[in-house]
Amino acid sequence: MNIREATLDDMIPMQNCNLHNLPENYQMKYYFYHSLTWPQLSYVAEDEKGRIIGYVLAKLEEDPAAEPHGHITSLSVMRTYRRLGVAEKLMTQSQNAMRDVFNCKFVSLHVRKSNRAALQLYRDTLKFTVQDIEKKYYADGTGYLELWELECVQDVKNKEDEMQ
Amino acid sequence: MRELPQKEANLFKQILKCYENKQYKKGFKGAEQILKKFPEHGETLALKGLFLNHLDKKEEAYEFVKKGLRHDLRSHVCWHVFGLLYRSDKNYEEALKCYSQALKIDKENLQILRDYSLLQVQTRNYEGFAETRHILLELRPQNRQFWIGLAIAYHMMGKPDLGIKVLTTYEETLKDIPTKPDYEHSEMLLYHNSMLEETGDIQAALDHLDTIEKHVCDQKALQEKRAKYFLALGRQEDAEKAYRAMVARNPDNFAYIDGLRSSMGLGHDNLSTDEEAKLLDLFKELQKEYPRSNAAKRLPLRFATGDAFVKVADEYMRNNLRKGVPSLFVNMKTLYTNKEKAQAVEKLALSYLTALDKTKGFDNSGSAVEPPTALLWTLYFVAQHYDFKRQSNEALSHINRAIEHTPTLVELYMTKGRILKHAGDYVQAMDVLNEARELDLQDRFINSKCSKYMLRADKMAEAEKTVVMFARADIADPLNDLVDMQAMWFILETGESHLRQNQLGRALKRFHQVEKLFADFTEDQFDFHMYCLRKMTLRAYISLLKLEDQLRSHQYFVRAAQNAVQCYITLFDKPDGADSEEMEGMTEGEKKKFRNKQRKAELKAQKEAEEKKAQAVQEITKKGGKVDEDPEGLKYSKTEDPLGEALKFLKPLQELAADRVETHLMGFELYIRKNKLLLALKSLLKSNKIDANNATLHEQLVRFALAVQKAGSSLKPAVKSVIDKHWDTLFQGKATKDLKAFTAGFLETSKTLGSVPHLISAAIAVSLIEPGTEKSKAEAEAIIFSIAEEKYTDTRSLENVLVAQKTLKSLRSSRVQEFRIKAALWFPKATVFQS
Repeated sequence: MNIREATLDDMIPMQNCNLHNLPENYQMKYYFYHSLTWPQLSYVAEDEKGRIIGYVLAKLEEDPAAEPHGHITSLSVMRTYRRLGVAEKLMTQSQNAMRDVFNCKFVSLHVRKSNRAALQLYRDTLKFTVQDIEKKYYADGTGYLELWELECVQDVKNKEDEMQ
Repeated sequence: MRELPQKEANLFKQILKCYENKQYKKGFKGAEQILKKFPEHGETLALKGLFLNHLDKKEEAYEFVKKGLRHDLRSHVCWHVFGLLYRSDKNYEEALKCYSQALKIDKENLQILRDYSLLQVQTRNYEGFAETRHILLELRPQNRQFWIGLAIAYHMMGKPDLGIKVLTTYEETLKDIPTKPDYEHSEMLLYHNSMLEETGDIQAALDHLDTIEKHVCDQKALQEKRAKYFLALGRQEDAEKAYRAMVARNPDNFAYIDGLRSSMGLGHDNLSTDEEAKLLDLFKELQKEYPRSNAAKRLPLRFATGDAFVKVADEYMRNNLRKGVPSLFVNMKTLYTNKEKAQAVEKLALSYLTALDKTKGFDNSGSAVEPPTALLWTLYFVAQHYDFKRQSNEALSHINRAIEHTPTLVELYMTKGRILKHAGDYVQAMDVLNEARELDLQDRFINSKCSKYMLRADKMAEAEKTVVMFARADIADPLNDLVDMQAMWFILETGESHLRQNQLGRALKRFHQVEKLFADFTEDQFDFHMYCLRKMTLRAYISLLKLEDQLRSHQYFVRAAQNAVQCYITLFDKPDGADSEEMEGMTEGEKKKFRNKQRKAELKAQKEAEEKKAQAVQEITKKGGKVDEDPEGLKYSKTEDPLGEALKFLKPLQELAADRVETHLMGFELYIRKNKLLLALKSLLKSNKIDANNATLHEQLVRFALAVQKAGSSLKPAVKSVIDKHWDTLFQGKATKDLKAFTAGFLETSKTLGSVPHLISAAIAVSLIEPGTEKSKAEAEAIIFSIAEEKYTDTRSLENVLVAQKTLKSLRSSRVQEFRIKAALWFPKATVFQS
């Protein structure tokens, strides 16, 4: 498993991974937009053959009123590549880049309240905490979402130690 | 603006503003107002056209813009507007001409110059782009974007040295460099450095890094480059230190570990025993330092050999099986290209299984009892291993044991489905995947896989029903939404299923959708030309330009193009769909009966389709969606020029997938049908160069020789001399033109290779050399039947045997049934060989 910064060439396989795994999908231009605005923030995981099996697509939240912070647009790992800690590794690298390159203090993301698998990942594994509840984020109005926010981890080394 | 009284002149200024602010309706009204008094004012007429274009009245738009231009040919506004109109229709060639006219009239118009340069870079006219960018910079040297734009132009022209000069000059003009790192400035500096690297002066690039370091935000990129430069300059110790720091940053990055290896002199392929031991020690050290790194654990398996491999593989496999890592087999499989390693892995896995059954440990030492799931994951592994070797029965018995052990695990069913798919039972495979899907209805991944298996079984209706389950409820046409969302996997799988079912129009519609998506991706870059200059993400921008130039070499495009060419060839060969595959080998009476049956079925299907369509139309229009006017894809299947359409798909492949033999094999198929012997020859030469031993190439060579023979004296001498010149290259010196001897020699090769595809190619060649004779038919049949011989075991795959059977059918052989019975013995589960 190879974890590396995403390049423009990864956008097509990232979109493919997203379309297989998640209900929220985006057109290619949106992927391009991420990679051409914040090229440091998105990461991919490759298998031994170089196929993209997981990704985190991330951006900077440019709200002048708030402290600089990052935002996870989409994160997903192919089901068959679970239990290797891929999602967590992707998040760690993206968060470090947010902190180092853009001076981010924390990172936020949206998750559907009904999505148990995602909740488990963000809350239990990645230690995100609930910041706010936003209703009717989705146009279909079935289910509502919660906005989770997390203090950005300050030091990579410390984080590695914690994990051990 | 021209000759308008004060009041109207002011109004004209206002409508220009309206255009900038996208107030098209308001602008349109203003234009009408001016035209009431001055109906022949060219610039107003042109602008009215532009507004109409944005109000979705395309035809009228062109009418008014052209009328405006007629009334005022000397107006740069009119030409600019015309250019904008063409640009909005993506007609870049015409748009460029218009801008160039506008610039002849108003040489220093910034807006037009800027728009012009965007089109030049979009169409990859870098010379022109550099010229325009140069003018812009001279007009506004205080503007950062114009400096950067010129540097990029030089860079893309392949002159990074000039690009560097521009950037250096610009940097020197900067008075107050931000004291703390500023992102945009930092990106520019890193871009500057990447150009230095491209000039090949690595020392200069390294020195440059030192000077920019304190202004750079992206320190990771900077350190990465520094490590790379150290290595390139042979500064091993510095490189090692730098790469160790990179590994600490991200211990799961292969490139960093590769860099570290190289810096320690262990980067090459053929490691000595001593070096191998050193490398394995390095990995041990990294594992200790970074216990969570998967890379540090997995990479040793790549480099270790012999007993050392068994040792590291043993440890690695035990850990993963204990943990229940589902991807273990897929991960290990890449090692199987090395036979010795494949055998070692098999031995280990089987020994675990025996031991787990006996003592609940991975070995019989009794020292450790594993968790009960260890048996489950080992069974799962062994099943996949046998499936890889296409031993379906062994694979199935192991996966069934695993399912008995834990009947709720989705992954097990996915593997069972894959085994069945490989064995040729697509329907049962799909049923098993559906069971898996029902175990976890919330997971889109298993839903996608299940839909894919349904498509592989050509169960279109079921697949469509399943795949839309994850569509948003407010979408009018959820199936089409998948196309809007650019779900390429789905479009391709659907198209391939139509192709299998000989529904060529529908198939082509899908493959053209893929083509359209790629065209959209090309189009997507347009807005980024300006955007990236503003944001200064220049390194990323350069990779966008490079990506776009290579875009159609992507596997998805290649797949779509190959399939589309296939469809068009079939359409050309059988324009009315007569003699479909099932009819091959039938008598005329049988054919008539079969056609009648088919027609009835078609009518019935048509009626059903129409009813369904009417229903769907109602549904879609109710939700405000667009109705598909041509679901059958008649637009494509009824084309007058199938080969011409096919060539459009082939062309990008010839440019971007020229290293694939398939590209040129397809090229031959098209050119020989168009009777373009020289182009056919060119394709053959390319195929020959890539893979002189290719199976299909032989059949094509024979067809080519026959075509040349047939053309005989009608060949132009110039053409003939070119063909003669290359004859020896193609026919391996055997310029005898004795095709029988040539094919006999080839047959010998296929025997030595033990290759079924070669056998098939030889059979086709034999039947072509003496067409229509019972003797050659019998000979071809005999060749195909020799597939049963022991030496062909390894290549007697389901796919190859299927092609062999199809070839027999196309020879109108009476031995098809006999062959099918044999095939059914080799592939007892394959539905296609069952009667």
